[in-house]
Amino acid sequence: MGLFSRKPKDSQREDGLGISRKYDLLPGKCYIVEESPPDLSFDAFVNILSTQDEACAKVTGLAISRQHPDLIKQKYGLEKTPIFWLATRAGQDVISPTNLGILTHTIIKFIEENACGVILLDGLEYLVSNNDFNKALRVINQVNDHVAQSKCRIIIPVDPRAFDSKELALLERNAEKILGAQAK
Amino acid sequence: MKVLIVDDSEAFRKVMIELLVRVGFNDVAEAQDFDEGVAVFRKERPKISFVDMILPGKSGVELTSEMLKIDPKAVVIAMSSIVNKKMIRESLDSGAKDFLLKPTNEIALGAVLAMWSD
Repeated sequence: MGLFSRKPKDSQREDGLGISRKYDLLPGKCYIVEESPPDLSFDAFVNILSTQDEACAKVTGLAISRQHPDLIKQKYGLEKTPIFWLATRAGQDVISPTNLGILTHTIIKFIEENACGVILLDGLEYLVSNNDFNKALRVINQVNDHVAQSKCRIIIPVDPRAFDSKELALLERNAEKILGAQAK
Repeated sequence: MKVLIVDDSEAFRKVMIELLVRVGFNDVAEAQDFDEGVAVFRKERPKISFVDMILPGKSGVELTSEMLKIDPKAVVIAMSSIVNKKMIRESLDSGAKDFLLKPTNEIALGAVLAMWSD
């Protein structure tokens, strides 16, 4: 699977599990989940992918994470969803944390090619540590503009301990905030 | 409304009880395995039971079947720390109404309770 081949395909849609939808995340919205580890974010991502959607027949997903794709596939039973690893190693499904252009392009291309997509961007702290906060924020804002004009949703877990209050406020300015269990 | 949690991890049961209290369910019973689960279920007759699929000895799927033999109207919610599709399908086939990924949270738990507590 190449970085630039994000065509919506049935083969990339997860099979329904026959369980109920637990997260009412609205299309066109960005959700910042304050938590560590990102359990709620992954649960919401998998739940949306594995259940019937009111707006769409079936939702397609894209995950970008600091966690290795094999671990994510194993734990969350994702068999078809493309998963990119944020890492400095070379590889086909790897995005370098310093290459924000490829990261942004991958997400925007997915939004353009998937009418009802859900995106999980896990590893914002890693992006900030490899660039700087303002550069990472620009990525979020750019992606957010595209999400807002689509029926896609994006879930971004953030560890509140890694950001100061001003940075958190900037991240959450154009997003819905969800408090994870660890953040309460 | 009585709720039962069956999980071999005492720490997880405590977290679940805290979450249940937070979403308004104060009457909670607990058990750690199949045998204790059946005994507590017979005694307490909970409306909703959260059952871990992986238990020491007999599995959560077997426990679900046993609970529903005792009370066919009971609601059983399967739980697991991994999304194993085969296991989820087995638990739903055995009569579980829904699935919760562990560790759970207030949003997911609240949604399940809202759906199945009527």
